[in-house]
Amino acid sequence: MTMTLILEQTFNGLQAGVTLFLVAAGLTLILGIMDFVFLAHGAQVMIGAYAAAAITSVTGNFYLGLLLAIPVTFASGYLLELLIIRHLYQRDHMEQVLATFGLILFFNELIRIGFGPAALYSDLPPSLSGFVEILPDTPYPAYRLAVILAGLVLALAIHLFVSRTRVGAMVRAGANNPAMTAALGINIKILFRLIFATGACFAGVAGMLLGPLTSVQPGMGEPLLILSLVVIIIGGIGSVRGAFIAAIIVGLVDTLGRVFLPALLRLIIDQAAADGAGPALASMLVYILMAMVLIFRPTGLFPAKGS
Amino acid sequence: MTSNPVLEITHLDKSFGALTATKNVSFRVLPGEIHSLIGPNGAGKTTLVQQIYGALAPDRGHIHLMGRDITALSIPERVRAGIGRSFQISNVLMDFTILENAIIAEQARRGDSFRFLYPAFSDANLIAGAYQILERVGLADQAGRPAQDLAHGDRRILELALALATAPSVLLLDEPMAGTGPQDSRRMADIIDRLRGQVAILLIEHDMDVVFRLADRISVLVEGAIIATGTADEISGNDAVKAAYLGDEG
Amino acid sequence: MLGYCLDLMRLGRDGIRDNRLLWLLIAGFGLFPIFTHFADLPFWNDVAMRIMLLGMAAMGLNLVLGYGGMVSFGHAAFIGIGAYCVGISQFYGITNGWAHLLFSLVACGIAGLVIGYLALRTSGIYFIMITLAFAQMLFFLFVSLETYGGDDGMSIDRADFGVVDLYDPLRLYFLIWICLALVGLALMFIVRSRFGVTLRAIKSNESRVEAMGLVPLRFKITGYVISAVICGLAGALFASWQEYVSPDIMHWTRSGELMIIIILGGLATLAGPLLGAIVFLLLEEMLPWLLAVVAPAYAENWMILFGPILIMVVMFGRGGLVGLLDRWRAANKAGRLMP
Repeated sequence: MTMTLILEQTFNGLQAGVTLFLVAAGLTLILGIMDFVFLAHGAQVMIGAYAAAAITSVTGNFYLGLLLAIPVTFASGYLLELLIIRHLYQRDHMEQVLATFGLILFFNELIRIGFGPAALYSDLPPSLSGFVEILPDTPYPAYRLAVILAGLVLALAIHLFVSRTRVGAMVRAGANNPAMTAALGINIKILFRLIFATGACFAGVAGMLLGPLTSVQPGMGEPLLILSLVVIIIGGIGSVRGAFIAAIIVGLVDTLGRVFLPALLRLIIDQAAADGAGPALASMLVYILMAMVLIFRPTGLFPAKGS
Repeated sequence: MTSNPVLEITHLDKSFGALTATKNVSFRVLPGEIHSLIGPNGAGKTTLVQQIYGALAPDRGHIHLMGRDITALSIPERVRAGIGRSFQISNVLMDFTILENAIIAEQARRGDSFRFLYPAFSDANLIAGAYQILERVGLADQAGRPAQDLAHGDRRILELALALATAPSVLLLDEPMAGTGPQDSRRMADIIDRLRGQVAILLIEHDMDVVFRLADRISVLVEGAIIATGTADEISGNDAVKAAYLGDEG
Repeated sequence: MLGYCLDLMRLGRDGIRDNRLLWLLIAGFGLFPIFTHFADLPFWNDVAMRIMLLGMAAMGLNLVLGYGGMVSFGHAAFIGIGAYCVGISQFYGITNGWAHLLFSLVACGIAGLVIGYLALRTSGIYFIMITLAFAQMLFFLFVSLETYGGDDGMSIDRADFGVVDLYDPLRLYFLIWICLALVGLALMFIVRSRFGVTLRAIKSNESRVEAMGLVPLRFKITGYVISAVICGLAGALFASWQEYVSPDIMHWTRSGELMIIIILGGLATLAGPLLGAIVFLLLEEMLPWLLAVVAPAYAENWMILFGPILIMVVMFGRGGLVGLLDRWRAANKAGRLMP
């Protein structure tokens, strides 16, 4: 258990947290402002990853792939809301669950038809495939560092947008009191559509950034979706700030937990039991954390809705 | 003549940040009386009712029901202790018929809802009790109608019936006439009038004609504080009340 | 006593009318093996068993979802717990089938109590997300428990039930069938009982139930535990039938399937979940075949039809199949009244 390992895993945790935030940010607004259970958010991640991978393989340039995939994911979110989602706002939650569940099945299958069921491998961009010394004698993958930086920059941008701009104020108002916001005459329909499309965009960006790190395959978004739900529960529905803090916490707990918990357990109980229980407990760690937040603060750590 | 109050509110305070909604409110509701709470819009009537009902916790102060301190009790506990409430916005069970609504209320009152075998809606005892409730408010002849098909006035009466069904010591009637036309309003007033003496009533109401007809005593709430309590004559002669509420309409 | 019996006989006429449909379907399943025997299609007994098990689990979920209004996205976890209890008991040398069942039911009861207590302090979107998260937690738990097979799962022998030798496929069929009938009977009573009526009232208007002096949480948790136990029963029987259990049985998409079945058949009806299970599994069999005929190149991708079908059912179907049948019956009656 060296310093290098701890540092490396902490950075990995940050990277996981930051990408998780990108997925959770849009979702927490959709859940909080539109009271809409959008299970197909994971599909947006997948669409982003595939769009970037496809454009990259055609153009040969990773950055071009990123840049051009962004409008693709924005458009997919925009169209989805326009064609299907907006008809479902008035429905009860179970119907929303089922409809979006159907969307997941549809998109996964669509991708399977278009790109085949096997995982696509997207390469690291050559400019970022080396290592960076974050501390002397501590090399860390340049790409992951870039993802962390990109994520933090985006998080800052979102924060500034939500807290400093007029549209951001509308979004905050919507998260705090949707009915009142509508009553104030703000064009809710367009606001919803834009929030949806932007959320899809961020989720897509997360997918694009993760592409070279994990495999790009049908259904890749669902694990991230569920983890985002945990993040949102911990952070509070409708709260972007809560989503950020919770995402970082979840990313760190999950990554560090998986690496160090089995080792820690071995210190307390005997080897055999630790080896059996260690991985199991580590995989449940994040959910146990969620359960504890639920017991003490059922509305999350930073709830958006007013008291 | 007993003067032990059924409901006693002492020094109730409630603030939301900088806004003081309830200021040192104290008053009592005597057995069998119809006590009306009036005040201009925004005076804090709803907040006060919510605190008595248990939906909101006061910052300071106590609520006593039949001498028992209920300030810390949950809503269901207070209801079982004897507080009945009708809501300003009708809160009936829309997916059931009137009779079924009353049966469920009757079943709840009897306190043994955790039965799994016998069909509730076929239970002769429950049905009999339910009809008694409906007859008391004159809805017995519509027993089979779905609650969602009811006209607004009838729904308000069902609302009142369900509050009565808990066999309360004090009834909190939150604007029972809200949204009703003159005919339904009169029906409702008749029903409430007939309840005088049988159960203590705290009546929150805007319509001054109704208040003066029904109320034994009136308390006036202005900006969270009670500025006067007394009979209808005393209140209508009170200068402070006239200025603050009955208005500078002169 | 006589009065009680007379009331029981009137059961078919009060409130919920789909009693008869439920017992018709159950009777149908009971007679089905006769048909498959003479038509020499024993494979369809297997399909029927799957349908019955899926229907049983869906009926369990329907208690809290349809009647109780609690959108629990984690009920597949209870099916999984029920199934794994059988596997784990066998792992430790317990071969008695009744012991397995007992273990499954108790474990699910406890799990239902714990998860229900934690989750039911919330409502709405929170509740959906939390039940989903807990189900995933259990999924990952079993994936990482290498001793019990982890990702690969574990194989299961059909248990020794004493009198019943489960390796005779017909015996297993009727064991499942009897359990289904018992669950149907239990639900029929529960839904009409004071408890069931209160649960339905809570779905209709929780604050009114509170205003009647009842504590809604107690009823919701009780309902949740009952539904968890029913799902556990289905899971335990499923493990025996499949002779195998893996974490996939409790993947969250399975919970989605249960919901699809309930909405297909009709929320808050007794027969709906069973009817939905029939349609769902038949669709699963028929869609690939249909696609193989119409567009052979895409035969493997039949799932792509499923999504839009589901979306359309949600957007346009009201009351599911039972609702459809009701409207058809009502229309027929109206037709006959007109000269």
